[in-house]
Amino acid sequence: MSIKDILSPFSAWKKVIKDPVTVKDPFNDRPGAPRYRGFHKNELDKCIGCGACEEICQNAAIDMVPVEGIETVEGDSGLRPMVDYGRCCWCALCVDICSTNSLTLSNEYTWIDSDPDVFRFIPGYDKKEWDNSKLGWTKPKNYDLNTYERVEMKELHPEERDKSFIEFVKGYSKEQAEAEADRCIDCGLCTATCPAHMSIPEYIKAIRNDDMEEGLRIMYETNPLPEICGRICTHKCETVCAIGHKGEPLSIRWLKRYIADQVPESKYKEVLEQGLEITPKSKKVAIIGSGPSGLSAAYYLSRMGYATKIFESLPEAGGMMRYGIPSYRLPYDQIDKDINYILSCGVEIEYNVKIGKDITIEQLEKDYDAVFSGTGLHLGRSTRIPGSEHENVFFATDLLREISLGTEIKVDEKIVVIGGGNVAMDITRSLARLQNQKYGKVDVLATCLEAEDIMPADREEVVEAREEKAIVDPGWGPKDIKIENGKIKGLNVVKCLSVFDDEGRFSPKFDEDKKKFFPAEMVVESIGQGMDLTYIDSIKDKLEFSDRGRIVVNEKYQSSLPWFFVGGDIIKGPDVINGIANGHIAAKGIDEFLNKK
Amino acid sequence: MKEILEKIKTKYEVTDVLQKRADLLFFTIDKKMVLDILNYLKELEGFTHLVMLSSVDWLEENKFQLTYIINHPINKHDIAIRVDLNRDEATMDSIHHIWIHAETDQREIKELFGIDFPGSPGVDEDFVLEDWDEIPPMRRDFDTLEYSERTFFPRDGRKTYDTKEYMKSKLYPDDKQ
Repeated sequence: MSIKDILSPFSAWKKVIKDPVTVKDPFNDRPGAPRYRGFHKNELDKCIGCGACEEICQNAAIDMVPVEGIETVEGDSGLRPMVDYGRCCWCALCVDICSTNSLTLSNEYTWIDSDPDVFRFIPGYDKKEWDNSKLGWTKPKNYDLNTYERVEMKELHPEERDKSFIEFVKGYSKEQAEAEADRCIDCGLCTATCPAHMSIPEYIKAIRNDDMEEGLRIMYETNPLPEICGRICTHKCETVCAIGHKGEPLSIRWLKRYIADQVPESKYKEVLEQGLEITPKSKKVAIIGSGPSGLSAAYYLSRMGYATKIFESLPEAGGMMRYGIPSYRLPYDQIDKDINYILSCGVEIEYNVKIGKDITIEQLEKDYDAVFSGTGLHLGRSTRIPGSEHENVFFATDLLREISLGTEIKVDEKIVVIGGGNVAMDITRSLARLQNQKYGKVDVLATCLEAEDIMPADREEVVEAREEKAIVDPGWGPKDIKIENGKIKGLNVVKCLSVFDDEGRFSPKFDEDKKKFFPAEMVVESIGQGMDLTYIDSIKDKLEFSDRGRIVVNEKYQSSLPWFFVGGDIIKGPDVINGIANGHIAAKGIDEFLNKK
Repeated sequence: MKEILEKIKTKYEVTDVLQKRADLLFFTIDKKMVLDILNYLKELEGFTHLVMLSSVDWLEENKFQLTYIINHPINKHDIAIRVDLNRDEATMDSIHHIWIHAETDQREIKELFGIDFPGSPGVDEDFVLEDWDEIPPMRRDFDTLEYSERTFFPRDGRKTYDTKEYMKSKLYPDDKQ
């Protein structure tokens, strides 16, 4: 200690008779500057509880806590930030990074209290006098801590792609994938919405760390079909992405594809089976159908040590992924890559065998300890309008299957597709390609009941179909197919005013005076698919069915026959990721069932 | 301001010229020429007032950037002169003899960025920090969060929830995935 340190307290005494420099003014407020960074405000209903504020805080001043009255729902964790002002330094990074701009700072900075605990509170929830203050710090315009635009995905130009079935989405390069992955704030809101609850932030982090093998391992924990999902997943995760509130959500689907694309098939065993020990079990499981749910169930059962065998009625595995989705969206070699690995894990498969015809369901029950069925929705549904029984009226699912089987299908010069879902867009775009190959021009029109803004198909599908010169004219109800001298002339439609009634039931209303005629020689119906359950006719009495004709299953996808588990599109969906999810859950259910047996 | 810029260009090599506003001009100049140009602009061109001296740590480029903003009180013009310093040799000539109050800026920058200004009065004295024995806190390799965690005790009763785990407990608790 220096002499100065000892003397300095006394040197203060010399100022005792001087006027103070500061003036106490009890009558006037001393407001902060208009952009002063004072106490926090939070618009609770705008906040989604992503925790970006907590993550960025350099003083660990923020905790994410449950708040009464805020429910946890998809896209909102239900948590809200609580600030500890013993640590906050008012730097406002939390405001600048806030995913929804709900968090701001008021310009209020004076608050005196003898209880230190009052300085920890939940802005917006614990009411404060500055909650409605207009002044203070908000995120400045023209400045962002994150990037809110996607890294653009390169695609083949419509004119390069509209004649062939080669894949048109090119995939990210390393630089592109890393730049896109950099936008992720690791909040994890997406995981709850993904039907398979994939560890999305974790595999995106693997991209940032340039560790594709780790990324692949993370994906296989919940999804054994990453090449496929990386291309055609319905990506519900992207709809809740926190970044989507201020800009474009992360391209989660393309990032998944990027990881799977980087690891060659020859390395899968080494990467995924490192240190893996499987104790073989004596029990056997039969799986009907090699679609996403069947493959997923088979993969996870084989990992648990069960001998599994898939029975597939078609010559190759994949179900709707191979026979329903055109190869320009999902190339066959990528389907093979995912499936080959599953089959290499000891999953047996028998092709061209139909349960109920070649083998009875009773036989399966006898030969196996449990059965999982994921037979999908392969039957086309008809509009049943006059003329729909004509031989030149086809179901989209049948045509798509024929195309995948390599059979030449009938392609006329003028075609109308009835339907506005993804399957309708798939067949429209496939037919456009085939017309281009055959006639050198495209003349296919898709029409559906739903107006443009409520079309069930993914937006990009509609846009891309139009880029490929197909016409999409939504909002019309099919009336009848005009036939002259045994030949189709076209489709008569009337304006559709609404599709659903006030209670959300399907009940289309039409304006019969507004008519249109779409000339065509061939009509394709794509208004939904049905299931063929004839293979379980003999056990039908022992099963429970819902009002809508679906088999009733418990949360583990077990039917009222304990050995019979059902999943895939015939239970939930329809889409690939739901199938993968329920195949996985069913596998766990089968394991529990067989352990008790 | 165009005129003064043309004049400067005949005497000095300046880069990254940016006319930010009609009355605000930015440019970068070599470290060796800073004193010279400041003297020239003050004594001969009427930029008699030093508004401020600030620093930025460009960690990735291994450099510090100092910005001297000087003002022409009659024309009401500002010039911001930038200079890059190698991060490994964080030393700059002092300008306290041109503007006495620069010693305060320099003392602050010394403390917060660790850039030395040899000869600047009191440059080694504490500015706002007392007994600081970490690396200068405004350097970007200073880990603020780590320092806070180490230095400040958390208040009792603090608890935070992981977004993903919390959503799982609320929305799909039975699912072991």
